[in-house]
Parts: sequence; C-alpha cells; structure tokens
Amino acid sequence: MADTVQDATPAAAEAPDPAIGSVLVVGAGVAGIRAALDLAEVGYRVVLTDSSPAIGGILAKLDYQFPTDHCGMCKMLPLVGREYASQYCMRKSLFHDNIKLLPFTEVARVEGQPGAFHVELRRRARHVDTDVCIGTGACEAVCPVEVPSEFNEGLTRRKAIYRPVPHNLPNLYLIDMDACTRCGECVKACPVDAIRLDSEDEALAVDVDAIILAAGASLQEPAGPGDLTSYGLHPNLVTALELERLLSSSGRYDGVIHRPSDGRPARRIAWLQCVGSRNRKEGRDYCSSVCCMFALKEAVLAHEKGGPGVETTIFYMDLRAFGKDHWRYRERAERDHGVRLVRCRVRQVQQLADGSLRIRFLDPQGEWQHGDFDLVVLSTGQTPLRAGGWLAELLGVPADRAGFFAPPGPLKVATPRDGVFACGALSGLGDISDAQVSGSAAAGAASRLLHALGKKFKPEPDVPPERPVARERPRVHVVLCRWNHGKMPAGIDLEPLRRELLALPGVGAVDIVDTLCRGAGHEEAGAILRASTCNRVLFGACLPYVYRRRLKLLAQTAGFNPGLTEVVDLRSTIQRRLADEPAALVMAKVRRQLEAPLARLRTADALVVSRMPLSQEVLVVGGGLTGMRAALSLAERGVRVHLVERGEQLGGGAAAATAPAVDGLDAAKLAAEMRQAVWESKHITVHRHGEILETHGSLGRFRTRLRNGDREEHVVVHGAVILATGAGPASTDEYGHGACDRVLTQDELGRALAGGALDPATLGTVVFIQCVGSREPGGREYCSRVCCAGALAHALALKQRNPGARVVVLYRDLMAYGTLERAYTAARGAGVVFVTYERDAKPEVAIVGGRPQVAFTDPVLGEPVSVAADLVCLGTGLAPNPTNARLGGLFGVELTADGFFQEADAKWRPVDTLRAGVFVAGTAHSPRRTGEALLQAEAAAHRAFAVLSRRELTAARVVAQVHDSLCARCQACIDVCPYHARTFDVADRSIRVDAAACQGCGMCAVACPSGAAEVLGMGERQHLAVIDAALRDIGPGMSLGVR
Amino acid sequence: MELFSPVATSGDPTKAARALLAELLTKGVVKGVLVPARSARGGAVAHRLITDPAALEGAEPFAPVVPVSGARPAAALTARPAGQPLAVVLRSCEIRAFVELVKLHQGSVDDLLIVGVDCLGRFENRDFAALAAERDDLALAFLQAAGDGAERVLGKPLPAACTICEHPVADLADLRLAFLGDDPAARIWVEWVSEKGRRAQAALEREPGAPPAGRAAAVAALVARRRAAGEHHLGAFRERTKDLAGLAAVVSGCVTCTNCRVACPVCYCRHCVFTTDTFQHEGEEYLRAAGKWGATRLPADNVFYHLTRMVHVGTLCVGCGQCSSACPNDVPVMELIRTMAERAQARFAYEPGRSLAEAQPLATFQMDEHPDVTGQVK
Repeated sequence: MADTVQDATPAAAEAPDPAIGSVLVVGAGVAGIRAALDLAEVGYRVVLTDSSPAIGGILAKLDYQFPTDHCGMCKMLPLVGREYASQYCMRKSLFHDNIKLLPFTEVARVEGQPGAFHVELRRRARHVDTDVCIGTGACEAVCPVEVPSEFNEGLTRRKAIYRPVPHNLPNLYLIDMDACTRCGECVKACPVDAIRLDSEDEALAVDVDAIILAAGASLQEPAGPGDLTSYGLHPNLVTALELERLLSSSGRYDGVIHRPSDGRPARRIAWLQCVGSRNRKEGRDYCSSVCCMFALKEAVLAHEKGGPGVETTIFYMDLRAFGKDHWRYRERAERDHGVRLVRCRVRQVQQLADGSLRIRFLDPQGEWQHGDFDLVVLSTGQTPLRAGGWLAELLGVPADRAGFFAPPGPLKVATPRDGVFACGALSGLGDISDAQVSGSAAAGAASRLLHALGKKFKPEPDVPPERPVARERPRVHVVLCRWNHGKMPAGIDLEPLRRELLALPGVGAVDIVDTLCRGAGHEEAGAILRASTCNRVLFGACLPYVYRRRLKLLAQTAGFNPGLTEVVDLRSTIQRRLADEPAALVMAKVRRQLEAPLARLRTADALVVSRMPLSQEVLVVGGGLTGMRAALSLAERGVRVHLVERGEQLGGGAAAATAPAVDGLDAAKLAAEMRQAVWESKHITVHRHGEILETHGSLGRFRTRLRNGDREEHVVVHGAVILATGAGPASTDEYGHGACDRVLTQDELGRALAGGALDPATLGTVVFIQCVGSREPGGREYCSRVCCAGALAHALALKQRNPGARVVVLYRDLMAYGTLERAYTAARGAGVVFVTYERDAKPEVAIVGGRPQVAFTDPVLGEPVSVAADLVCLGTGLAPNPTNARLGGLFGVELTADGFFQEADAKWRPVDTLRAGVFVAGTAHSPRRTGEALLQAEAAAHRAFAVLSRRELTAARVVAQVHDSLCARCQACIDVCPYHARTFDVADRSIRVDAAACQGCGMCAVACPSGAAEVLGMGERQHLAVIDAALRDIGPGMSLGVR
Repeated sequence: MELFSPVATSGDPTKAARALLAELLTKGVVKGVLVPARSARGGAVAHRLITDPAALEGAEPFAPVVPVSGARPAAALTARPAGQPLAVVLRSCEIRAFVELVKLHQGSVDDLLIVGVDCLGRFENRDFAALAAERDDLALAFLQAAGDGAERVLGKPLPAACTICEHPVADLADLRLAFLGDDPAARIWVEWVSEKGRRAQAALEREPGAPPAGRAAAVAALVARRRAAGEHHLGAFRERTKDLAGLAAVVSGCVTCTNCRVACPVCYCRHCVFTTDTFQHEGEEYLRAAGKWGATRLPADNVFYHLTRMVHVGTLCVGCGQCSSACPNDVPVMELIRTMAERAQARFAYEPGRSLAEAQPLATFQMDEHPDVTGQVK
C-alpha cells in the first residue's frame, strides 16, 4: 500500500537521543505496522523497514475483508494523539512523527545486544528521485517494456517504470531494472528530470535497543509439486488472491467478475480449499488458518457483485470457521446467499472446449460426481516466509522443516534471542486480527525490555506558545514556493499571482520563496513568518502529503497556530495543467483554486489544545491467566494495577487445569508461577472476592467503587480498564451426560484421569463427540475453538498410555488450524479413528447396562454403526462469563449475541472496545486457547500503556462541543455518535462531550439541526465560505448570491 | 377489534364532547385536559389546559381552526412531566407531529391520554374569526358542510394542506372522537383505541360496541378524494420547481421572517440558525457576489433558508400546512416541503407519526446507507 516518500530533512538534524528507546521493526505488513504504531504512540523511536517498495504486505491487495466486506485498515491509526499520525486512507500512505519508514530496504547484518543493536541496512535504488517526481506518468506512457503486473497478480500488465501500488499517494514511480532496457525514453519524457538510471543501492545503518521481526508470510505457489499442476495451463483457474484482484475496483475489471479466458461474466464459481496446505507429503503439515473464511468471503462477494444467477460452490475437507463470529458468517453465507459447501477431495480439474472447467470429485458417499464452472479459485494457503540466514540467526533458533520457529515460552512473541521479538506470521499463521494482537503484544514485550533498560520515551513535541489571535481580525500570510531552485516552467511567473492574491480580502502579505522545503528557502520562510504581523499562514508548495507536517511545524515555530496553517499543492496543479492549457489560463485557475483554502483560513476559529490530567493506574477485572498476564505486563513498566478477582484464588480455570495441551503449555504450572509473580509485585494490588459496584468517568479518569474480601469499599481512580473475565467450561445434558458416570465432558475427563479416578488401562473403547451444544441454532452459536485441540490432546495421551485402546472421534469440522494440524496427523497415525457427522444427524448415546452405546452413521458406507464404549467424552466448549452483561453495562461495552464482549473492530482493533480506555482480552473476548489468550493480554496491556504513558491527555483540536443555549436536548447527537463520546447529564439536563473519546467525525453536527452540536474548526460559516469560494465561477453560491 | 360507544348530541356535538371530557376529569381518569377553548371572557380559540370541569364550557374540540399546531403545547406540557395523568385533544396532524417531538425528547406520552378528533380540515385563522363572528353553530355547520371533503366550505377555501390531507382519522390516539360516516347532529362516537383508551372506557363505564355502519366507506372515500387532489396539486408544483431557477422564483417573495419555522410543529430548534450571524457575510463578499451577475439579492439567504428547512424537516414533515398559513407573503411553503418530503420519506421507508418505536432516519447511524447517494464504494 503506502508507497512512501523520504523526508528531505538532512540527517544531522535528527541525530537520535540515545536515552530514548528505539526499536527496529522488520517488515511493514499489518503486524509490523501495528507494532510500529503502538511503540510510536508511546513515544519510542521506530525504524520500520520493508523489503518491498510499498508497505501493507498482502493486505495492500485486499479491498474487502471479512466480516464487514469492507477495508478498515485506517482503523489501525491512533485515536488518542491522532494529530501525530496521518489521518487518511492507509492504503495510500502512512506517516507518524516517531516512525522512520524505510521501504525497499533489507537487513544486511545485525550485531550487538539488547540496548545496543547495530543494524546495517541496504536501501535498494528506485531509479526515480521521489523528491523531484511529480507523478505526471509521462515516463510510463513512453516506456516500451511490458511485463505482468505483480500488484494485479499478473492479470494486467505494467511497464518497466511503474507505480508498485497504483492507488498510492503521491504517485511514486520506480524502475524495475530487471525489465528495463535502458532505452532512455523515460529520461527524455520526464518534465522534471527525476529519473536516475545509474543510481545504486545505498548502505544505511541504524542503532536500536530492540528488534521486532514481522517478516510475514507468503502465499503458497499453486503449481507446486503435489498440488494442482494444471494451474497456469487453464486461464480460468485462478488463485484466491487473483480473484481478489478480479473483484477489486482497482483491479482488471473494475469490480465485476469475468472469466480471464474470454471476458464473459463468471456465473458459476468454485473454490478448492487446502491448495498448498495440509499436505504432509510435501512437508506442509499445517493448516493455513485463513483460507476457509477467505473463500466464504469471496463467495459472498461474488453473490453481492454478480447478483442473482451466480452460483458458488466451495469444495472443502473441514470448514475451519473457528474464529469469533465466524460460524454465524458461514451460516449467513449458506442461508442468505446460497453458497454451496461440499465436503470432498477434488481429484481433477479438466478444461472443456468453451474454456469452462469440469471438476471431478468424490462426494461424501464415495460416489464420483462432476460439476462445470466458469471460474475455479484455488484457496492457496499461507506459508511461513523462507527468509535468509540472518533471520534464523537473529531469532536464535532454526526453523523447522515447514519454516516455523518455536518460541521458547508461553508468550509467542518472545524469541530465544534477547532483545529480539517476533510477530505476525512468525508467531503463527493467522488472520488480520491475529496480526494486530501479535503486533501489539510484540510492541508490549519490546516496551517492557526498554523499560528494564532504563530507556525513556520522547516527550510530546515541544510546542512553542502560540500567539493568542482569537480577537484579531483574520489576516493570512501567503508564502508561495518557487520550486526547483527558482527554475520555473516556461511562462510561469508567480509575481502577478502574488499581486492578485494581495488584493483578496483577508490577505495580509504574500511572499515568494525559492525551494521552500529545504535549506536557505526554508530558513528564509521561517524568518519571514517570525517577522509577520499576520495570524494565519497559507503555503503554496507541493506534495502536501509529504511536506504538510514540516511546513506546519515551521509556522508553529514562528508562533502560528498550526490549526490556522494550510498547505496547498501549487506545483502539481500548475505542471499538470500546463500540458493542455496556456500559462495565463493556468495561473488564473490557480488563483481561483487558492480562494477556497483562503476562505477556510479567514473564517477558521483560533482553537487551542485542551489538556486533561490523567491517572496512570489500570484496573484489571478478572484474575485468571489473562488478567494476571496483563497486570504483570503493566506492573513491569511501573504502572500501578488493581487486579479484581471475584473468587478466592488467582488463576481462574487454569489454576485447576488438568487436561493435557497439545502445544505442551502447562496451564496450571503457568498459573502458579504468575500467581507468585503477582503477589511479589509491588505495583499490583489484588482485590480477592472483589466486586465492582459502580464506575464513572472516561479514558484517563475513571472512578470505580469496588468491594473486596475485607468487606470494605474502595474507590479506585484509574486511567484504563482491561476486562479479562474469562469463560467457563460449558455443561450439557445431551448424550446421557449426568445420567451415566461413563459420559464425561473433556474437563471432567481431565480431572478423573489426573485424580486417579479413571485408569486409562481400563478404557478399551473411547468415543469423543465434538461440537456438543456448539455451532447450532439455539445452542452456543459459535465454535469454542478449544474442544478439537482438547480431544486431540486427550486422544493422543490415551493412545500413549494404552496403545491398544480403540479411540473414535465424531466431529463436524475438525478445527485443527495452524500447527494443530500436526496433532491431528499424529492422532490419525496413532490409530485414532475420525468420523464426520452432520448437524441434522447427530450421534446417539444409549446407556445399556451402565455402559454407553454410541450409534452413528458411517459417512462412506451410509450404514449405521453402533459402538459399545467404556467412555464417552463430550467436547462441550466454553460458555461466556455470566457477569459480562453487568460489567458491560457498567463500562459501556456491548456484548455480542453470544455474550462475549464486543471489540471495537473484529479485524483491526481486536482488543480495544468502542469505549475509549476500556480494553478486553482472553476468553472474555471470545473462546481461545491459552497461548492465544496470553498474547491478547499482552496486547491489551500495551494498548492501555500506550494511552497512559503520557503525562496528560491532549484532546485533539478538532473535537465536538455543545452550544448549550442552542441545544434543544433532542439527544439525536448521542444516538448517532459512533464513539460513545456523548452523554446526557440528567441532573443538568445538558449534553456532555468526552473530548478524549471524540474523534471529530462530525456525525453529531450532521444530526443536529440547530448548530448546537459543532465540531471545533469545522464551523458552518467556514464551510459555507469554502463552498461559496469554490462555486464562485461555476454557479450560484449556497448561502450567498442567488441572482 | 374496534370498540365504539355512541354519544347522543341532540344537535350540539360540541356540548356532548365537553360533557365527555368533563367526565374524564370528574371520574379522576385525568387531572387536566389540553383542548382548544375560549376563555371565560371569550376571545380567540387557543389551546388551554383545563383542570376545572366548569371551564370546559369554553372547549371547542370541533371548531374548524388550529391556531397553532397542538403538538407544540402538548410537547411543552409533557417535556418535563407533571407526574399526573393528563389528556390532550388533538387532530391527526397534531398527533403525528407530537409523536415526532416525543422521539426527539421534546415531549412525553407517559401518563398521557391522547384524544384524537376526526378532521375534515380547518379554516385559516382569519377566515375562522370572520365566520365565528357571524354564527354560533359554526362547528356543526362546518362538519355538515365539509362532510364530503369539499375544498370550499361556507364560502371560504380550506388551506391546500387540508384539501390534500390523507389522514382524516387520528392514528396514534388512545381514544377518538369520531363522526365520519354518521350525522354529528344526531350522535358522535367514542372509539376506545389503545390499552389506555380501554382503561378510560372502563372508568367511564361505557358499553363498547361495533363501529358506526357507514364509517369505513366514508373514510375511504374521503382519503381517495384527498389523495387524488394531492397528486394533482403537488404534481403541478413539482413541475414549477424542477430546477433551481424555478425554486428561486417560488421563494422570491420570502422575506426570511422565519414565521413558517416558528409555526412548524417539528422545527424544534430553540434558536434557528437563520436568526444567528452565520449568514452575516463580509461586505466585500456581497460585492463579489453581485459582481458575478451585476446584481445580487439581499437578504441573500432566502433560497438557502428553505433548502435548510427541507433538510431539517424533510423526513419529519406531517403536512399540516401551518407553514403556509403563517406566511405573510403567500410563499407555498407546504408544497415546497411536502414535494421534497414525500421522496425523502419514501427513501427511508419512514412515515412520521406512524409509530413511536420507529427511529428517525437522521437519528440513526448506519455504515452502509444509500451508497448511491453517499458515493460510498464498497
């Protein structure tokens, strides 16, 4: 996505302060970006590199993401302190004051230790000077070389000089030197001499305290051995990512799905799952974890885009819709859109004469079937990036044969190498939300290290006092840049423009400066502004995306209010128009174009920044593993934590955990260790038998009244809260549970085996039944995610202790995602029998002579089978904590239909809630395994820390307010506020705005008819003035001037 | 099931209605009744809150006049509830506007008994005053003369809004004073509509029975006539205002006195933005605007004023016509808003006043609404 521009600041100007913590993040996919932003938000210095010329990784190509079927990448941007980061589409670009972005840069060598890493980097040559390029595209037009476009997965072609991501802003070009013939046509065509055919790679070095590896994953090559070798031969056989580009509005067909072979609309579309994954023969003995949802999303999109008449079929082995709300999405896909799901292995894809593809498959009954399709999509799985030796060296461990690195401890972001952390695909294959969680968790782990090293974070920028100008008559100082060191295109003279602007109302002074952005020109502009008597500044320069921050800072240093500073791209406008129009007309249009920003500045209010004191303490609700991990993570950084546990003992369900875990995590041991650490921490106050009575306030200043075991009431003032109330094992009365002591839940089986009540040697036949009460309407309408792992662990342990035992697992979809697939494979290898059943034909258990008799249908033979079992073990899953509803009400967090806390955004903000300052982690969020819950705990702790690390909360300038005298108290603004920033004070009969939660989106101002809800700096007068100025020459104004 | 009880009028339906309202007070069903009435000293009909049954002698529930929409006084009375049961006597358009105000937290239906009155329309205030000075039996004479839905009654034209009104029966009432389809000189009917209405029926000890025989047909015929008139009237107006020039011509007589917004029952802002200095431009701006065509109109914001009102009340307009009645310069404000409101309301499938449970379109935040309008790319 974001192709980026190098800031032209001379290196000497930013010699980093070694006392400030610094982190190198390698890989600018979404996990790396998350880690970088989370560290930058605290105030650490971040260097973010990516080997590709753009950032965003795979996500740059995905326009639509489950479950909203929208893009939401911008939701990653910080909400507090948002003025320090870009606030526009992240697919276009990204900046943050504390992040140095180095795309097209690779790590060459790393040496040193935590607190003193020296990293050598190699920045690859673009061959286009991005400081000079203005993106006319003339070079691209004349380039004679065409190669397949990587961005559109080869579905379109590009030139040798091209924009790696077409929707980037600004339009930054790059020459692919492997394709380039050095014909020199582009050099001749470039109007600004930006092309450097002879430029070379550049060696750079950075010194950092810690390193986060976010190297990412790649997608499996579909034509690899053992997979569908016909890929590449049939044009209508495409990968999932190719389909994504077919669907994209920036792709080949502007968003309508056609067959690549002949351009006819694709009506019949099929997806083949598990291409490149779950393939043990080829050493890929893992599940890619995301393709099932990916295929479901694409199928739903195909229906939405294609309308009636589209038929979609997904051929799968197990439909692994195991994440939060995934099962509901699957149900909707089947029920509302008619997506057909067929469980089978596809044997053959054959091309017919008309280009259609015939799929032959073995149906669940073992019959050969075939179907014809316009388009067949291969759900190619993710695969860990096979990086060079430096990565393994950095991590301190070699990868296994599939390419995975095993973390040494329970926290998957820690590597064996001190000071080096991993996130994203390196900590396990996952989806966007997993990347967000591991990115935040890695940032948290790095931040704990920096704290231990005694590193500081950068104070917020030293803002010089602004001259109070609210009572002055608006006077705008216009500074125009004569770029390219004053060498202007023929016929362009800024002097007449200067005189015309000076005659406009509200313009106090107009100056022209050579090359405003750097050197003498920059200093001259600073001197001019320091001597200015005006109170607003308009810069006519170039590329506002790049220079806006620098120019605003220049004006701010000269005493101007940055809210009263505007930057307009004069240069691109002039140069683009000059191609078609005479210079005089161009300049007249430029003058008119400047009128709208002038009108905006003239009518802008002089806003000041309000600062609010902040409590740096955190309340953690729930003393299970998740709550303890979050509390410890914060305490290690000197944050005071109040840990509220409803029961007698810390540790939650894990403290009594007896069941084995396939990933070797001993939850009970972990709980004991963490409990010890919590009691030893001087920063954590534990409230056992704690109950939250009431809470008020908002981000930075909650006041919560609670009662604990000593029966006394306490008032805790805290800046944030982490909800970690956990979930409990669900029970059931199905399958004879409760009626027979040989029918146990997984939890009960674990205890019976651990306590010696059951001897594995006596168990000749054991039947596991999965999805008990789960994934069915009226039951728990979600996948509990832990029961398949639990069944695999139990089955393997039983087989180990009693190899002669007959073990049968009756399941619907075996959710052996990621490397759990290995346990699944191992269990089958050990002789465990896996048999599927359908939701409408459940197994039946009859108790005969005190023993369970299990009846089910053999799916292959279609015959009824009956098994006399010594034990039936039920996978009942997890049920949400019943106190969630009360806590949600107290803290203003909604619950999902299933009773878990609703996060702010399923993909991009998984541990935040919509209520600022309230975070959620672990099984309070959704069912998850221990390691996954711990990562969320670390992530939530860091998200809270990032907000609270400031000494005071700075509300953004652009926030909403209420004119009380105009307000009719209709409360429409409260209903529409998407950030819950507005409340009605009943005692006062007035509307209150939480300035820290408000994001200045303006929905309230839209809903309010009387102008009582207003967004500061976005007043009605101002907008009308801008509209009037913009419409001045083309029609009647809105508020003024009907003939 | 529809439950009706007849009330004999012996030639004076107003008197019969007064007695019924008095009974609500004396039997303790409510502590006060808000109803159009004259004071003991005579004078104009206005909404009055009556607590003394004797003062109901001045009540005029059928008088063919609506001096201000009763939605406003009903909202003022209930916005900060008295905690005592009250009744309000309102026509269909007044109830529908009141319902919208309740959704906007400007009023409340708690402890409130809404008494709806069948409506054949009203006179403009001035015409009503003139006719009322001439005759004492104006209410009955009007009901009899206007019964078939006539556009001119007793020699005076009804407001255009009433001639195209498709809601003669008050929808969301608790009980109704009904006469459509029967002879008001002989009897009127009380319809016990809601749960609250049926509790009143029990307290008043009336026998409920079937609706009057001719009522359904009479209502249907009236609605059909008004709907046809509406299509014709608004169709012609739409033609006149199909472009900005036409719109400017229609509102050219507007002096931005804001009377229409004061009279509008759903224009609920405390202070109208057009009475603030938001549109006070720099002198230089006026000059530049004039410079564009050689001349510009002052006050300059009259088109913008009406466009703004369209946005503010477009989804909420109940078509009561108070705006046009309040205009001193005969600007067709009702037509202006209603032609636009019809489409706006259809787009959101929203009908103001239909239900208290339906959220107002502009008071809900949805991510994926009307992508064809918002230009949102999905």
